[in-house]
Amino acid sequence: MTKKNGGADMLREAVQEQEFSEDQIRESDTWLDQVKTLVRQNKLAVFSAILIVLIIMAAVFAPVVAPYDHLKQSLTDRLQHPSAAHWLGTDELGRDVLSRIIFGARISLTIGLVPTLISMAIGTVLGMCAGFYGGKIDFFIMRLADVMLAFPSLLLAMVVMYTMGGGLINIFIALSLVNWASTARVVRSQTLSLKEKEYVEAARSIGVKKWTIMFRHILPNCLPSLIVLFTLNIPSAILSEASLSFLGVGAQPPSASWGLMVVRGKKYLFTEPWLSIAPSVAIMVIVMAFNFLGDGLRDVIDPYLKEQ
Amino acid sequence: MPQNGAIDFAAFFCENRILFRLGRGFPVFKKVLKRILVSIPVLVGVVLLIFIMLRIVPGDPVTTMMGEHVNPVVIEKIKKEMGLEQPLYIQFFKYVANALKGDFGTSYRLNRNVTQIILDAFPNTVKLSLLAALVAWIIGIVAGIVAAIRQNRLLDRMFMGCALMGVSMPVFMTALVLQYVFAFRLKWFPVSGFDSFRAMILPAIVLGWNSAGSIARMTRSNLVEVMQDDYIRTARAKGLREHGVILGHALKNAMLPVVTMMALQISSMLSGAVLTESVFGVPGIGRLAVNAIETRDMPLLQGTVIFTTVLIIAGNLVADLLYNVLDPRIREGA
Amino acid sequence: MKKKISLILAAAMTMGLILTGCGGSSSSETAAAPEAGTEGSGQGTETTAAAAVGTDVDTTGFLITVLNADIQTADVQKTSKDYLIPMNIFDRLVEIAVDDNGNSSIVPSLAESWDISEDGTEYTFHLRQGVKFHNGNDFTAEDVVYTFTRMLTAEGTVNSEFIDQIKGASELLEGSADTLEGVEVIDDYTLKVTLKEPFAGFLACISTAGVSIYDSEATEAAGDQFGLDPSVTVGTGPFKFASWTYNDQLVLVRNDDYWMGASALPGAVVKIIPDTETQTMMFENGEIDLMDLDYVTDAIDRFLATYPDQIISGPRVGITYLTMNYNIEPFNNLKVRQAVQKAIDKQSILDALYGGRGQIEHGIFPHGLIGFNENQTQITYDPEGAKALLAEAGYADGFTMELAADSSASDTTTMALEIIKEQLAEVGINAEIKNYDQSTWLETRKSGELGSFLATWTADYNDPDNFIYTFFGNEEKTKIRSINYPDKEVMDRVAKARAIVNEDERIAEYQALEEKIIHEDASWAPMYSRTHLFAVSKRVQNFVPVWSGIGDQFFYGISLSE
Repeated sequence: MTKKNGGADMLREAVQEQEFSEDQIRESDTWLDQVKTLVRQNKLAVFSAILIVLIIMAAVFAPVVAPYDHLKQSLTDRLQHPSAAHWLGTDELGRDVLSRIIFGARISLTIGLVPTLISMAIGTVLGMCAGFYGGKIDFFIMRLADVMLAFPSLLLAMVVMYTMGGGLINIFIALSLVNWASTARVVRSQTLSLKEKEYVEAARSIGVKKWTIMFRHILPNCLPSLIVLFTLNIPSAILSEASLSFLGVGAQPPSASWGLMVVRGKKYLFTEPWLSIAPSVAIMVIVMAFNFLGDGLRDVIDPYLKEQ
Repeated sequence: MPQNGAIDFAAFFCENRILFRLGRGFPVFKKVLKRILVSIPVLVGVVLLIFIMLRIVPGDPVTTMMGEHVNPVVIEKIKKEMGLEQPLYIQFFKYVANALKGDFGTSYRLNRNVTQIILDAFPNTVKLSLLAALVAWIIGIVAGIVAAIRQNRLLDRMFMGCALMGVSMPVFMTALVLQYVFAFRLKWFPVSGFDSFRAMILPAIVLGWNSAGSIARMTRSNLVEVMQDDYIRTARAKGLREHGVILGHALKNAMLPVVTMMALQISSMLSGAVLTESVFGVPGIGRLAVNAIETRDMPLLQGTVIFTTVLIIAGNLVADLLYNVLDPRIREGA
Repeated sequence: MKKKISLILAAAMTMGLILTGCGGSSSSETAAAPEAGTEGSGQGTETTAAAAVGTDVDTTGFLITVLNADIQTADVQKTSKDYLIPMNIFDRLVEIAVDDNGNSSIVPSLAESWDISEDGTEYTFHLRQGVKFHNGNDFTAEDVVYTFTRMLTAEGTVNSEFIDQIKGASELLEGSADTLEGVEVIDDYTLKVTLKEPFAGFLACISTAGVSIYDSEATEAAGDQFGLDPSVTVGTGPFKFASWTYNDQLVLVRNDDYWMGASALPGAVVKIIPDTETQTMMFENGEIDLMDLDYVTDAIDRFLATYPDQIISGPRVGITYLTMNYNIEPFNNLKVRQAVQKAIDKQSILDALYGGRGQIEHGIFPHGLIGFNENQTQITYDPEGAKALLAEAGYADGFTMELAADSSASDTTTMALEIIKEQLAEVGINAEIKNYDQSTWLETRKSGELGSFLATWTADYNDPDNFIYTFFGNEEKTKIRSINYPDKEVMDRVAKARAIVNEDERIAEYQALEEKIIHEDASWAPMYSRTHLFAVSKRVQNFVPVWSGIGDQFFYGISLSE
């Protein structure tokens, strides 16, 4: 630091104030103990987990599970009411709604998983770098995170979608871009406190490389929080896609996500309400399941909230 | 993104601690100044980001604006008038210079002053958001308290489920269903509009319910935590009745993070407002932004984004101050 | 501590209540509910202050209609789609009228009569006397000259092509002249217009909303606020532009001094409601008097069943077509284009998506347009024939093509694409739906590189020229439609046909050209033209949809019972 500038100095000071070193990390129980606690304490979370697994299985084995081909149109069988043949009726082009929901789970789950994984990977790496290196790197990364967080996220995603056009890949990019910042913040703050830990200091003193320390010692300790964030971010991505579909920039036909099915079906709300209600319920179920699971996991495994 | 508590949770997760630290030993004035200073680069970043993103958009704004009957001579003429021929950095600096004077340019599509358009729409969004915050607060706190008292029991699950339901449905679907039942079938409210108090209730419930989940969750977990604290145990030992204990002591402490979180939720609230306003026909700022994106109206979009961003940053600042005022540890520790 | 929290919360709540309270009292739902007895709303007792800020128009008894997106401007020289307000606040020199047999003709409006010279290049208009603009100014020939000049010179003008046949128009547009050579004021109420060359569609052209007549003085004084600020946006029309709250509503009030007699309707409120389900509920609740059912194509069956007496059916002089870009392989092959024409079952699409409400089209000129040819060759659904053609063309195993979807198009259009994709698959063509946002779609189309797309062209003026010249008028025209029709000789004929003075000869030539372009060359796949339906509340009387089938409507003539 050669030059001193009042404003900039104050800025830096303000930012560094944000660091905190409260030592809150408690050595975790083994994962088996945690699962046991979860099962004992929170039946709802366990039930949610089972439900999620079932939905994933249905999505993976969709061609086997689904009663019909989800893309097969039959213009003579449009908008049929629920019946034995079509449990959830047929849509505006005579396609079986149940089959479309089962196949739609593939797309919706992918939309939930992929951007979440990407954004969390970005957020984790940037957050660790910021926390570990500190200084200018920290300042730069965290201001970038602030910029992302200061945007109304839906608008940002919309702008990205408009910039790049519709389609699945672009949804991934839009949602990843929007969501990495919060992960980065969490990871950064945990890194800051972990950095002060004896074993990390010890590793540093014997000259272990920084990247090695980050990935060997810090990352594993961030994992519990990341897992919780992960389960909570997935439903949020699924809902975001639905909102984008509503605004006309989401997934694209003919292979529909649940969000798009709701949007397309809502025109028949007065006459064939199942067309929009059924996929809405599907979204609601999976979102709530992930939320309950996330809450349950947080109670059990996240040391940040567990310390009493 | 907007509908889910995860982000709020994460943001809160850090903010709360940051704020806690920041609050110590600083005179409020100095701290406000500092926060504002930190916000400047953020704001510049936001403007730059939106500016660049909009310039790399493939579509040509003029072509979109003009629609079908177009003369190429005219297009070139308009482009020149808009200054779109100039290099990007000149456009940017000109824009920032004008923005500092409160002039966000002229909307391409509406040919009016952007500041004026935004100021016209703004009160509606503020009304909607404030009412929604009230709704969120009521649903969230009530559900959170009940859930915490009956921790891990049926009532807990039911109330949390109820609060979370608003976050779990796509907002526009919640809106449509409520609108269908309460405005269309029962006729308690007008179907759309925003020109009377009665018309505002439904949109506020939709938007508020959407935020209630994270407040309920936060209230619950804080209460559960606080109730384990020593002084609550002492109070209990003194023989205070259970409800008295909770409302009197625990709630007071558990509310701190919740209050700050509400300010931090402005961001997700504004995202939700985009959808709610569309369904209920509220002439607010969210619809302006959607209009602007759809028509490639760069000045209008830049204007709305900057405006909302300032709002979000201000919200964070308020959260910070509130926390400072409310937290006894900070005050006593000082 | 506790006190402080509650204090702050109380403050926040009061603030909220004050803010919302203010909103509540300063303006209240007017609704003027058609079914006054609607339960629980009590509109009758509530004060009827206009909802728009800064106006105090009493909107009781007004017609309430709805748009799903707000307009850009009421200055019709700067918009090619927001015609609703201009149609009602301005007049044109001439208008189109349709008789009971569906034949349309050009009738006098601000021009009382006109003479056309032998060679078809000179039009002498005798203007109506005693017509006043909303600000009290007299309407004279100067105003027409001003309007035409402004159409060619104003910043952001988009409708110049309606008058570019006037002598000197191009020079003025490009800036090489500063007056419009072809218009000449004979006296205050006589105006002579000279065309570059004869153009039989000229009167039809100037009947469009785009050529609405402005007041030279007021418009000049309003500057760029014309069309934006209701108070300075004046015309001679049956309604005055009273207020505009962006994204909320537009209000028109009756012009009591209208030269044809004041409207029976005291005014109209145009609400902006983006969500179509909301619109439907509002209509059913009696909050809307007039609704364009194009917004809710999928709910039309229900509307017809629920409100059989309240559905007004109008024509739509508009053709839906599927393009095949000559520049994209294999559409340079005639047999492939013919195969696509045969592979599409138009009737099943019309039945599935539009309840069969419309007409199957086979050419360029749709039903209702002057020059529509009932006896032209039919393009019938023939998948076997299509397969045979593909085999002949060397594509027995099919090929992959693009269906370009515009994301701003209606869901019904997207569904039609999905059905077409399915039908093409049956003859072995693998059509992939590619989604573009509106802007990119338009730009790609204008660059001539867009794949096949489905669109509808609705008449601006009732003349075949408006259709054939738009798509096959010259190289540039066919390129910006991404058709890239290669036959220059045919396109020259299209351009020359404009100047044929004898009406019968001209129509015959157009029909011959249609036969050549669509049936010999298979340049696009004509689809259908759809009936345009509107739902009206019980109190609406005498509503007649506009001849062309656009969504924007004239309010003059409508009355409300009660």
